[in-house]
Amino acid sequence: MKFILNGKAVRFDGEADTPLLWVIREHFQLTGSKFGCGIGACGACTVHVDGEAVRSCCYPLRLVEGCHVVTIEGLGAARRHPVQQAWIDEDVPQCGYCQSGMIMAVSAALAQKPRPTEQQIIRQISNLCRCATYHRIRAALKRLTQEPEV
Amino acid sequence: MALTRRELLKSGAAGALSLLLPIGNGARAAVVSQATRPPELNEVNDWIWIGPDNRVIIGVSQCEVGQGIYTGLASVVAAEMDADWERVSVRFVTGRDAYRQSSGGEPFPQQFVAASTSMTQFHERTRLAGAQARDLFIRAAARHWQVGADTLRTHKGTVVDRIHNRTITYGQLIPRIRELALNPHPRLKSRGEEHQTGMIGRPLPRVDTPEKVDGSAIFGIDITLEDMLTAVPWMGPSLNGRLGALRNEAEIRAMPGVVDLVRSRHWSTMNMVKRDADFSPNTVLVVAKSFWQAKKAADRLDVEWIYGENDNFSSQTLNEDNRQALARNQPIIATDRGDAPGAIAAAKESERYHEARYQTEYVTHATLEPCNGTCLVEANRITVWGPFQGQDLTRIVLAKMFGLKPEDVTLNNTYLGGSYGRKYLPDAVMHAATASQATGKPVKVVYPRDIDIRHGYYRPGELAHYQAVLKPDGYPQALRAHCVGHGLFAQLHQHRVEELGGWDETMVECLYNTRYAIPELRVENTLVPQPISLSFLRGVGSVASLFCLESFISELSYKAGIDEYQYRYHLLRDAPEMQRVLEATANKANWSAPLPENHYRGLAVNIWVARDEAFVSYVALALEIAVNGSDYQVTRAICGIDCGKVINPNLIRCNIEGGIGFALTGAWYSHLHFEQGGVVESNFDDYGLLQLHEMPEVEVVILESDRPPQGCGEIATAVVAPALASALHKATGRPWRDLPLPRRLS
Repeated sequence: MKFILNGKAVRFDGEADTPLLWVIREHFQLTGSKFGCGIGACGACTVHVDGEAVRSCCYPLRLVEGCHVVTIEGLGAARRHPVQQAWIDEDVPQCGYCQSGMIMAVSAALAQKPRPTEQQIIRQISNLCRCATYHRIRAALKRLTQEPEV
Repeated sequence: MALTRRELLKSGAAGALSLLLPIGNGARAAVVSQATRPPELNEVNDWIWIGPDNRVIIGVSQCEVGQGIYTGLASVVAAEMDADWERVSVRFVTGRDAYRQSSGGEPFPQQFVAASTSMTQFHERTRLAGAQARDLFIRAAARHWQVGADTLRTHKGTVVDRIHNRTITYGQLIPRIRELALNPHPRLKSRGEEHQTGMIGRPLPRVDTPEKVDGSAIFGIDITLEDMLTAVPWMGPSLNGRLGALRNEAEIRAMPGVVDLVRSRHWSTMNMVKRDADFSPNTVLVVAKSFWQAKKAADRLDVEWIYGENDNFSSQTLNEDNRQALARNQPIIATDRGDAPGAIAAAKESERYHEARYQTEYVTHATLEPCNGTCLVEANRITVWGPFQGQDLTRIVLAKMFGLKPEDVTLNNTYLGGSYGRKYLPDAVMHAATASQATGKPVKVVYPRDIDIRHGYYRPGELAHYQAVLKPDGYPQALRAHCVGHGLFAQLHQHRVEELGGWDETMVECLYNTRYAIPELRVENTLVPQPISLSFLRGVGSVASLFCLESFISELSYKAGIDEYQYRYHLLRDAPEMQRVLEATANKANWSAPLPENHYRGLAVNIWVARDEAFVSYVALALEIAVNGSDYQVTRAICGIDCGKVINPNLIRCNIEGGIGFALTGAWYSHLHFEQGGVVESNFDDYGLLQLHEMPEVEVVILESDRPPQGCGEIATAVVAPALASALHKATGRPWRDLPLPRRLS
């Protein structure tokens, strides 16, 4: 199994039914993507596959053959991605466990053409945050959707 | 010396690990191993280390579960010592008496985070530590320059001699401080001096934010050690059963990556408090080379499950037991003022009588990071890594398991991906220790979500009967409340229930000590032990008991035809601090102004008296809902609080905003069902959490007071459900007396 992980060509020869998340976390030791539920319900494991947000905890590995996979570690150098910057500006995280997935989901949503409105993104993002940092996530989304295209 | 994460994780096995978070704009967050701490960093006291380059490390003994304490307590030290915040790093510290406390009902001093007490408990000692450092550097500079100490000032990590127009950094004074003793009674800064530092009373950003937005923050589940194995537990369908035969053991052992199957005991709360001596194995740890291999094997495992004799309960039988206990009407009296039962009996047939029955449900923590822990057992030594909320409890329990002393357990704390009380209990790392002993390797145990939900330590529900008689002016003359159910302290801290003569304070929290001016008050409790393990969950008993009390107060106000704000304000005449917060909240909410069509609002207040009166915080919440057919949204939440001196309003807001959302999850979604002695729900598809689009706009009104800093981590959690129920009552014309509340109106 070959794919591009955060810009680098990689290869995984383990069991083919391993979900993408565990390949990323255990084989490539990129632990920013989190395990929350294992059924795609919480979104803590969200990564980009060819630019689309996917829930990697139940994403079959065969679907990433030849694809570009981007994790939180590959999103932006030195936290310079606009979504990360908005998260810092609004001081969003509490426990922080869901935030990698949240940021990956929001960054994929904002990259859609045409860019969705603040209200559309609020409806679209179904990632769960047990600390309920949603108030500040919404403030960050307001900031991001008011800015020029990112 | 910043290490890369890979180096950290490798070095972790060799020595103690801790977290270091450089503060400052653009500074790269790093995690540093304590074992490789540069020797040039000099210890000033239990809380402060300094390097010649003027880098300051501030120790925080309260683990970061999301509450922001790494920022809050570090800024208390930094302000008092006049450190340069940009040059400060925060490190988790553990294992000294200075880091222990005994609040929250714990019988002896331990290091832990609980009961919203971190700031209240550690504010004074960390402030003193900062003052001690500042005093030391001033005296060191005076000796260095041979001038009088009283002519010197401090500013951002330097001592300033204004007379001779010169400065020297704290770091440069290190050789001098070694010659001096610490002053046990240094002068503390005045309020004005504290504010001048820009660190106290200001919305300082959190130190943990940068590494939580780039995936580099290390949680327990992220621990990776050389040669480490991963174990996934298999647990049975009921709570009180035990393992029989493993029918396909050979097949499972032959699966790819599987290293061992280890029988273990998932302790009940009754095991922990030594009231149940049955330690029969009830768990199989499937140990493999990777999580996925372990999980696949655990899912295929075929186990003969022997149900416990207590396992014949279901939600229906639990509720029926509570109903019968209420009907028996043989309670223990918690509060008795006047003759409430007499007044109620005399007026029961009159228009002035009102009664209601409330019910709440079992709920679980559902931390997004599932419970996990990593352990390496060696001869006479145990090392653990993980998201621990109770550091000393973890040490004590593991030491006992292996016949060692707590000092033989080296503990490395990571960030906690949510806890809310759950990770105070060391069950996951106990399993890891069992598996490590069996395999001789470091083992990380990770609970899949279904295990996390079905084998937790829950907050119980309750059934409550409220009765009141109103005076001619509409305010209550007498109130009687009878709360029935499985009590946390009756299970966990039985001695505290015995000391009180048989009632459980966690079942009548915020009720038995209500400050409402009700002339005749009787609060009663009937305990109904149930074979379900309980523990602390953010808000603890107050979430249920305050839901009932505040809902009933709202109902009485409707019956009296008095606005619920006016009603509460009048009844709180003996609690002016609470009145102040209520009034400010109502003003911010424009309470007296009419609402648009199909908008309704509800109100609730709480005087949060922490266990053993460790602190008192005041909170009021006004919620607004907008109804559209059978749909409704909570549109605004206006929350006023007085939690004493404000260290950092940004952190207080975090706790209130999140607390409101956390409580909306509870008010709408949290409900564990039981069947055949086990939990029905298993994941977020059937045990839902609040979503982004459901979150209201939150406005927080912080009313500072001259009391020391008081807790704010849990105070928003109990007021949400009754305020929402009151708004729903106004929208629908009928009371809503059961939690969870309806998400749609039919």
